[in-house]
Amino acid sequence: MFIENLLNQGDAPMLSEMLRFTSQRHKLLAENIVNVDTPNYRQKDLSVDRFQSMLRARVEQKRSSPAGSVSFDDIGMEIENPRAGILFHDGNNRSMEQLMSDQAKNALTHNLVVELLRKQYASMEMALKERIG
Amino acid sequence: MFDTLDLGASALVAQRTRMDTIAANIANIHTTRNEKGELSPFRRKFVTFASGQAGDRSKPGVHVSEIKDDMSPFIRKSDPGNPDADADGYVSLPNIDLAIEQVNSLEASRAYEASITMMETTKAMISSSLRLIA
Amino acid sequence: MINGVTNNLSLGQIAGGGATPASTTGAGSTGGSSFADMLKNSIGEVSKLQQDASQAVQDLATGKTEDVDGVMTAMNKADIAFKTLLAIRGKLMEAYDEVKQISM
Repeated sequence: MFIENLLNQGDAPMLSEMLRFTSQRHKLLAENIVNVDTPNYRQKDLSVDRFQSMLRARVEQKRSSPAGSVSFDDIGMEIENPRAGILFHDGNNRSMEQLMSDQAKNALTHNLVVELLRKQYASMEMALKERIG
Repeated sequence: MFDTLDLGASALVAQRTRMDTIAANIANIHTTRNEKGELSPFRRKFVTFASGQAGDRSKPGVHVSEIKDDMSPFIRKSDPGNPDADADGYVSLPNIDLAIEQVNSLEASRAYEASITMMETTKAMISSSLRLIA
Repeated sequence: MINGVTNNLSLGQIAGGGATPASTTGAGSTGGSSFADMLKNSIGEVSKLQQDASQAVQDLATGKTEDVDGVMTAMNKADIAFKTLLAIRGKLMEAYDEVKQISM
């Protein structure tokens, strides 16, 4: 319990959860991209807004709770079929440009979060080693 | 994340097959006889896609489900002197329109490139996650 | 003289770092207390910078802001401040070890 609480301090758990989200969303966007010419294919996505609001709620909860009691592991991620912008009769909204740009944004977010997480872990290690670097 | 690379590979294979079909159509745009030398104009072919990888339909991806013949009528051209002309002096030519084939090939090429970009993005994400350990 | 040293010792311990008698170079209680206070304030400053960085990261994650540069700057500031404090602490520990070696 003690070690767990130590490891769960700071923003590391929240950032790890974001990585889980960006990885999952990447796979869904990839599947959408390759199935752009497949008839009757329904696009799949994870809602970024919903994830961010759940994250916000969990962060607020963490702030007002004793250290280490709130975990981020179980934020639900449901796959949904976005209906926005459907242009074709078979239900496939084939906007390649939108998909590519969504995937690029998602990948950049993922890489940014990795960097932030690296800094967190480096900070913890620095404090433990009592040495700089 | 690694299985996303398999997903991308399935897309490359599918689009490549589509390209090959289009290339065959363009190459055979004036073919009036089949491989045995009989009078049988080349029929345009097209591919249909379905989701799921070719080897394992449950994995996300795309594959070519069928390469079908386009059953629209042949183009009939009046050319009485041609050895392939029928009794009325018309030659049956393949039902292939060069403009349509070129547009389709552009689309297939665009989809191919998009899959390549997607795979590069996947590789970048995996590399960046690996740096967490370093 | 001895009173001055005892004062510096207790203030140094309050500051939370190593004991500070050596670094005050035997000056009067006024010199020692200002350094100890400075250390205490520095710890508070570093803590605030780290909280600012954490808040910035959370705002970015929850979508409240799109300012990536701000987040990176805040994190770097907190990082450098923490490393500075760590360096000061290291030097203080070294100095304390040296003083311990002095045989009376």
